[in-house]
Amino acid sequence: MSVFANSADSFVWWSWVDGHWTEIGDRTVEHIVLTVIAVSVGFVVSSILALISVRYRWTYTPITAIGSILYTIPSLALFGLLVPITGLGMLTAEIALVSYTILILVRTIVTGLDGVPHEVREAADAMGYTHRARLLLVDLPLALPTIVSGLRIATVTVIGLVTVTALIGNGGYGALIDDGLSRSFSTPIVVGTVLSVALAVVVDVAFALVGRALTPWQRHATNRAVAS
Amino acid sequence: MSSSATEIAISLRGVSKTFPGAAAPAVTDLSLDIPCGEIVALVGPSGCGKTTTLKMINRLVELTSGTIEVLGRDQDEQPVHELRRSIGYVIQQVGLFPHHTIRRNVATVPKLLGWPAAEIEARVTELVDLVGLDPSVLDRYPSELSGGQQQRIGVARALAADPPILLMDEPYSAVDPIVREHLQDELLALQAKVGKTIVIVTHDIDEAIRLGDRVAILDVGGVLEQYDTPEELLRNPASSFVAAFLGRERGLRRLGIRRVSDITTIAGPVHDVDDPVSVAAKTMAEHSTDWVALTEHGRLVGWTTGADVEHADPDAALGSLPRRPFVARVKPDTPLREALDTILTSHSRMAAVTDGDDDRLLGMITIDQLAEGLE
Repeated sequence: MSVFANSADSFVWWSWVDGHWTEIGDRTVEHIVLTVIAVSVGFVVSSILALISVRYRWTYTPITAIGSILYTIPSLALFGLLVPITGLGMLTAEIALVSYTILILVRTIVTGLDGVPHEVREAADAMGYTHRARLLLVDLPLALPTIVSGLRIATVTVIGLVTVTALIGNGGYGALIDDGLSRSFSTPIVVGTVLSVALAVVVDVAFALVGRALTPWQRHATNRAVAS
Repeated sequence: MSSSATEIAISLRGVSKTFPGAAAPAVTDLSLDIPCGEIVALVGPSGCGKTTTLKMINRLVELTSGTIEVLGRDQDEQPVHELRRSIGYVIQQVGLFPHHTIRRNVATVPKLLGWPAAEIEARVTELVDLVGLDPSVLDRYPSELSGGQQQRIGVARALAADPPILLMDEPYSAVDPIVREHLQDELLALQAKVGKTIVIVTHDIDEAIRLGDRVAILDVGGVLEQYDTPEELLRNPASSFVAAFLGRERGLRRLGIRRVSDITTIAGPVHDVDDPVSVAAKTMAEHSTDWVALTEHGRLVGWTTGADVEHADPDAALGSLPRRPFVARVKPDTPLREALDTILTSHSRMAAVTDGDDDRLLGMITIDQLAEGLE
C-alpha cells in the first residue's frame, strides 16, 4: 500500500497548500534561520581552524581528520549521542549542522590561502605589509573565490540536512515532510521537498553572483593586452 | 657617480646564512660595501647565494651571523616592515597584486605610509609616465598587461615612495631577449634620472657588465670572488673562477662596455670640398686607401673614389667630383663592440666618428685604434 494512499486521486492537493500558507511561511523562515546560523558559526569556527593550520602546518592533518570523522558520522547517530546531553532542540540541531560544514570549509579556506601565488606574497612582505595587513588585504581577497565556492557547497549541503533535524523537533521544510510521512499524505512531502530544493538552487545562484561581484579582477583576465 | 662613491648605502660585514637543515652555508662570511647612487650587480652560478644575499638586505631572509647596515643604521634598529617600506623591491615574477588595479598596485607603499590621496594620485601618474607607459593602463588589472608592461609597473611600484635603495632579483629573466635589452636600457635611462642605489641579482654576466657600475662575482656557498668595476674585472680577473665565469670573450665584452669616446681617433684620408684634386692622391697613398672622405665646414658630406680623383682635372675642387654617401659612421657614445661591427662590415675598414647632433667629423677609427684602446 502506497504512503500516498490519501491522495490517490491527486498527488498534490492545492487546497491544502492554499490553507497552509502561514505554516509554509513559518517553515521557510525556520529553514533559513537554521541554515544561516549553521553556516555562519561553521564559517567562524572553520576560519579560526584554517588560520591555525596555515600558521602551524602540523595541525592541518589532525584538524581535517577530526572534520572528516564529524562529516562521516550519520546524522541519526549524532542526534542519538547529543540528545541526552543537549536535549531536543535547536542547539542539538545546530551542533550537528555546524559539524558537517567544518571539513568542507576548513579545506577550502586552507586551499584558497595556499593558492595565493608565492611571488605575490613575497612582494607584499617586501613592500612592508605587516602580517595582519597582508592576510586581510592580500591573502584573503585572493583566496575569496575558493572560499566562496566552499561556502556554496557547505550551504547547499546544510539546506538539505536541515530537513533531517525534523526528527528532533526542528527541521524547517523537514517538518512538512515529517508531517506528510506520518500521515501518509503526499502534499506536504512534495511541498517540503520542492521548496527545500528551490531554496538550495536560489542560494547557489546567489553565491555565484556574490562571488563574481567580489572578484572584479577575474572578469578582466580574458582581455589581455598586446605586448608593448 | 664618483663624487658620492665614498658614501656607503649598504654595508655587509661578515654576513653568513645557513638555512635550517642545510649542510653547507648559503652565504659565507660576506663583506661588501655598496656605494650610494651606484648600480651593483651580484652575479654567479646557481647556488652562489646571490638571491639570499639580496633578501638579507631587506630581511626577507634573516642572517645567521654578521651585520648589515642600511644607510648607516643597523637593519635591526627599526621594525622590519618600516625597513622594507624604505627599500624598493623588484622580482623576476613581478608579483603584482592580481586583485588590484595598476593604480592601486603602484600606490601600495605610499598607501601603507599614509600619504594623502591627492599626493598618491599625482605620484602614481608621474611614475607610470616615468616607466614609459600610457596612463590608460592605470584602471586595468595586471592580467590585462603584457609581461614587459607588468615588469615596468613592478619597477614603478618599487619606486613609488621614492626609496633611496632598490633591490632587483633577476628582474629581466622572464622576458624575451628583445624586451630584456629594451628594459635594461630603460633602467639605465631611469637611473640617470633618479640616481638610486640599486642592487641587482642576475645569473647573466652580460647583464651584470652592462648594468653594473660594480659587479660582485660570487662562487657557490656565497664566497665573494671579486668585487670590481666591469672594466677591472675584464682586464684583471682575480681568480681562474672569475676568468672562467667571464668566459672566453672577455676582450669582446670589454669592447661592449667601452665607448668610442674612450679611444683616440686618427685624422684619416679626409679633405675639404674646396681642396684641389691634386692633394688627394698623396693623402690616399699615405693612408693606403682608394678613396677620400669629404667635409664641408667640418661636416662629413660623403666620399669620392680614387678612380674619379685620378681622372679629374688636378686643379678642380674635390667637391666637383661625383660624391657618395658615407655610411660607416659611429658616434662618440657608440659602444666599441658596435664600432667594430661597423668597421668590419664597411668596405673601407674604417669608420667615421661624427657628432650626433650636426654630423661634424671628429676623426676616423680603424681596428688598430680599437686594439690600442683595449691595451
